[in-house]
Amino acid sequence: MSGAAVIAAAREALRRNRRAPLTWGLPLGGLAALIVAIYPSMADNLTTLAREYPEALREAFNVGDLSTPEEFLNAEMFSLIVPLAVGYFMIRSIVSALPAAEEAGELDVVLATPVERRELVAGAFLASLLTSAAVLLVVLALTLLASLIVDAGLGAGAALAGAAEVWPLGVFFGGVAALIAGLTGRAALVTALSGGILVAMYVFDLAGKMADDFSFLRHFSAFRLYGQAMVDGIDPPAFIGLALAGLLLAAVGAVAFERRDVAV
Amino acid sequence: MAEPVVVTERLTKRYGRNRGIEGISLRILRGEVFGLLGPNGAGKTTLIRTLLNLLHPTGGSARIFGLDSRRDSRAIRARIGNLPGDFVADRRMTGRELLRYLAALRGMDGLGRAEELAARLRADLDRPIGALSRGNRQKIGIIQALFHAPELLLLDEPTSGLDPLMQEEFLRLVREERAAGRTVLLSSHELDEVQRVCDRVGLIRSGRLVTVEPVEGLLDNAPRRVSVRVDGRIEEAELAALPGVSDLRVNGEAATFRVSGELDPVVKALAARRVVDLEVARPTLEEVFVAYYEAPEGTA
Repeated sequence: MSGAAVIAAAREALRRNRRAPLTWGLPLGGLAALIVAIYPSMADNLTTLAREYPEALREAFNVGDLSTPEEFLNAEMFSLIVPLAVGYFMIRSIVSALPAAEEAGELDVVLATPVERRELVAGAFLASLLTSAAVLLVVLALTLLASLIVDAGLGAGAALAGAAEVWPLGVFFGGVAALIAGLTGRAALVTALSGGILVAMYVFDLAGKMADDFSFLRHFSAFRLYGQAMVDGIDPPAFIGLALAGLLLAAVGAVAFERRDVAV
Repeated sequence: MAEPVVVTERLTKRYGRNRGIEGISLRILRGEVFGLLGPNGAGKTTLIRTLLNLLHPTGGSARIFGLDSRRDSRAIRARIGNLPGDFVADRRMTGRELLRYLAALRGMDGLGRAEELAARLRADLDRPIGALSRGNRQKIGIIQALFHAPELLLLDEPTSGLDPLMQEEFLRLVREERAAGRTVLLSSHELDEVQRVCDRVGLIRSGRLVTVEPVEGLLDNAPRRVSVRVDGRIEEAELAALPGVSDLRVNGEAATFRVSGELDPVVKALAARRVVDLEVARPTLEEVFVAYYEAPEGTA
């Protein structure tokens, strides 16, 4: 595998994604900033409100007693919206660089150069990892800025851990998309299947948390390894495990891409 | 004799029940411009995409520069320029950005011949490809196929969308490539451009290679159309009995017919009278092409 070819492919995929930190980061970061901004005015009532939630629901959505801005931000943004959005962003990013480009016929020119398909997949994957990290950095920056402005007291380390924990989850779903792209090369199919797996895994994890009878479903969900790092800190084995699983799926996808015809 | 650059042996590509190409055996020599002629859907694009390893053959083999088209595809592609039949690139990208990307994938330091080619084709490298007309987009496609001076050019319907002036310039470029010792495989259904620039032509029909001949040979061997007027009456039976004569129409002292093969027996038979007018028309490549396509499969 040529490092120069991977970097060239990654640079091209980054060019395609150059607006993503703003188009994805600003809305997500804006929402997170709003949550942090309203925290001081709600803080006194939140603990009482949280205690009224059913226990299963509190566990499912990582709702503690909401006594800190970290708990509030985690429950409102990082237990559902941000991980699903970043997971879907990774899927979209892979689809754009690989199966959508393939179906459009753009890869006929690219693959006539001495680049291997696995290098193209590696470049697209690398670019997606970097772009999703940039999206999360924008979210983090806006959140901390809002905290500073309203003096919400959000800990920078906790916020960083919360944002960082989303990243390997995105890597995993990017890997799922790369695998299906490698097998099929069909953009709509990759988006539908990968997006379906993302939502299904979230629902499995949620159902498993809410009802003991369904707890076995969590074994089929990547969200099982996604905790609440903003409150508890990062779990390194889960972080590394999710990221490695995503890389492995992408590698299998690259091999599958090399073994099939390029779509017309 | 020039060495072969492309050699295929019974190369076959099937898609499920559909036939792509079937048993194509072909040799393209270094320094020649080889035309691949056939209507849309005949298998021209499938053959080129199989040579590029975009499609994996279901049978037979292909060797390019003496290398296996599958196993050594990377080394082969380093020496190839490709213009797909439907050239597409990211619409937001400029031509220059595309060339920089492809140059990086090829390990080039600069943009090679890109500026020179852009000047000749009057191509705008700095506008987004999506904002270009079809013809101007095709110019970017031609530049990206040629800018790294490849040894083998695979050009699928290269003049599609180009205006006549640019078509002329493109054909000049192809002749220059040949003069520089490079090899060109040019797929087209434009008979005129094939006739003007190709050394040999392969006719492809329903995925099979029907014939491969020098352009001139293809024309020489095809039936010529003869119109003759003599002083006196033409005996239809006499002309019909001559070897190679077909489509005979006699009208008193005038006749029109086709002659395949040698003209000598016809000339000698007509010389028995005083010939008032005689016209022998060579067929156009288009007529040859139509003749091959009108023939039942397996007979052409």
